[in-house]
Amino acid sequence: MIEFVSGISVVCFAASYAVALVCEASRLLFRSGVRGAVMIAFAGAGLVAHTLFLGWRAAHEQAVPLSSAFDWYLLAAWLLAGGYLWITLANPRTPVGLFMLPVVLGLIGAAQLSSRIPFPQTPATQVWGAIHGSFNLAASVAVASGGLAGLLWLIQAGRLARKRPPLNSFRLPSLERLAQVTDRTLPIAASTAAAGFLSGIVLNAVNRQAGLLETVPWTDPVVLRMGGLVAWLVAAAVAARMGGRRADGPRTAAWLSVASFVLLTGSILWGLAAPTRHGVPPTRPADASSEAAP
Amino acid sequence: MTLAFVGGTHRTVPLALRERLAFSAEQAADALGRFRERFPGREAVLLSTCNRVEFYAAGGQADGPPRPEQLVAFLAECRGLDASLLTPVLAGDRDEAVVRHLFSVAAGLDSMVLGEPQIVAQVKQAWSLAQESRTSGPLTGEMFQAALRTAKRVATETAIGRERLSIPSVAVADFASGVFERFDDKRVLLIGAGKMAAETLRYLRAAGARDVVILNRSASRADELAARLDVRAGRFEDLVAELAAADLVVSTTGATEPIVSPERFAEAELHRGGRPLVVLDLAVPRDFDPRIGARPGVWLYSVDDLAAACDANRRRRQRELPAALAIIDEEARRFMGDLHHRSTAPVIERLRAGWSETGEAELERLFRRLPALDAAARAEIRQAFDRYAAKLLHPPLASLRSESRAGPPHGLLDALKRLFDLKD
Repeated sequence: MIEFVSGISVVCFAASYAVALVCEASRLLFRSGVRGAVMIAFAGAGLVAHTLFLGWRAAHEQAVPLSSAFDWYLLAAWLLAGGYLWITLANPRTPVGLFMLPVVLGLIGAAQLSSRIPFPQTPATQVWGAIHGSFNLAASVAVASGGLAGLLWLIQAGRLARKRPPLNSFRLPSLERLAQVTDRTLPIAASTAAAGFLSGIVLNAVNRQAGLLETVPWTDPVVLRMGGLVAWLVAAAVAARMGGRRADGPRTAAWLSVASFVLLTGSILWGLAAPTRHGVPPTRPADASSEAAP
Repeated sequence: MTLAFVGGTHRTVPLALRERLAFSAEQAADALGRFRERFPGREAVLLSTCNRVEFYAAGGQADGPPRPEQLVAFLAECRGLDASLLTPVLAGDRDEAVVRHLFSVAAGLDSMVLGEPQIVAQVKQAWSLAQESRTSGPLTGEMFQAALRTAKRVATETAIGRERLSIPSVAVADFASGVFERFDDKRVLLIGAGKMAAETLRYLRAAGARDVVILNRSASRADELAARLDVRAGRFEDLVAELAAADLVVSTTGATEPIVSPERFAEAELHRGGRPLVVLDLAVPRDFDPRIGARPGVWLYSVDDLAAACDANRRRRQRELPAALAIIDEEARRFMGDLHHRSTAPVIERLRAGWSETGEAELERLFRRLPALDAAARAEIRQAFDRYAAKLLHPPLASLRSESRAGPPHGLLDALKRLFDLKD
């Protein structure tokens, strides 16, 4: 059993999710009596393998989830994959996988491009690191969920406006249900992203004191993109809240959610490409820089 | 010939005659009882719905089922009709054509509304009645089981029965349900009480709608309709306030001008709090000015919009027809292949028995000449003989099975009988 679990690789669950995605896409091409079972079997197998992989890393690699960028992305993908499976089991005819699984696979891809080395930790930084990572994780999952719900809202509203009957193989959730999701995810994303950013500032200060990591300057790409994202999310949540009692409020919330998701994606890509001192061990004794974030 | 059927549908039998030919459940049971007495040893199933009366019969290779003209005469006798009235309008078929026809009927491909699902239950009931009347048997049993299996495949693997075709069902299931997740917390407003409104209300109630208000220009008529439809009556003068409170409007007045103008709707909009509104304007001329549909949060559908959606669904059903026919073809071939193969069973049985008899005789002779053989050695030799016989028999049996797929393998059966001297 141990040998089996230790042999699970990222490719195992990524391939399972990819097969589930192909099954989802095939809904648009032909009907099948067994596709639903095959799709759920592959997605379920992928989720089990994904869970075992994360569990193995937490137990044997001295790397609790969230302690490296690699683990952080994989945990975000795991949450979304679990959400996909839950929605699909509850609503087998709703093709949410067509939208959710590419995001899951994208996050796994981002994990593969990220560092697997855990950030150096002390008891104090471990707590603040977990808080920082958890809030950012919650914000990212909320933005992704809201963005997908917003996209589905726009597609469904477009179909209703064109007065076309839905395809049986492509029945989307109602506007009411999708609007409920975007109404909730925008404030959750804004508050958790803000909390993640603030806890990051505290973590930076603790790291500077402990001399564990390089001090992250205000001009670091990670600080800039996260700061910009937090500002956008707060503004979007306020705008959606203000428009909540207007007839075009759900449409505004849908567009804001989609825009937030696009910004998050851009932010992740920027993070993967741009050099950063975020989570980098010090190459020289830590000194307080005038440009450093507090 | 082992299978036969005669029958007529809405396409071939005029309504007046169909009414006289139709069987109630009791009359069908009585007819099947008569059939059992008249044609002992033969099987029968009677399918009678408002759109079709069909009689399926089966018999063994020796006696076969009654001829189609006998079946027509029998049906006429059961319903007290002159057979000459039925002969020109009832069609008859035999063997594989019967199987294909029944499979098409069960899958809803022969129905007035393509792909309608109620026919499956009616086919099931007809078969159950035949079982109760002791006129079903192995042939009709397997044929009806295969028909129900085929219908399930067609329903699962094609979308032929899924698209909605009536305006009220499309309005509720394809459009209102696209906007609202649930209806039990929504206010439904009926304006006027055309026939379509009552039908749409039926679908809305099935979807969970509870809070329904009806408005009519005549208060007494509104009260009367409210009592009949079991809804609450409102005052027509409160139209703007009711529009402000409603989530879904079904409008079917006979007004010659729109009763809700953009200006009037704007008054209601002020008090709606941004809630979405679905308007099913089923009136001709329209009750709602079409410009209202451009307002944010308003989903306005006219009869023409909904009729166009119904047409689109109908075309989608038609597009599924080739896939459904392919399934029926595949299942009918499989059924007939199995049926033909089963007819070879007596010959195969005699062939096996003959070989087994010869093998046993040879083994006995061998064991007498080799008395020193112990039980284990004898068992080994017996097994070797059996394996040898099975291997020799395999090619002719495989050929028989393969030939059965195309039709009854009479040629091969005759050859086997002559080659191995198999007596009937």
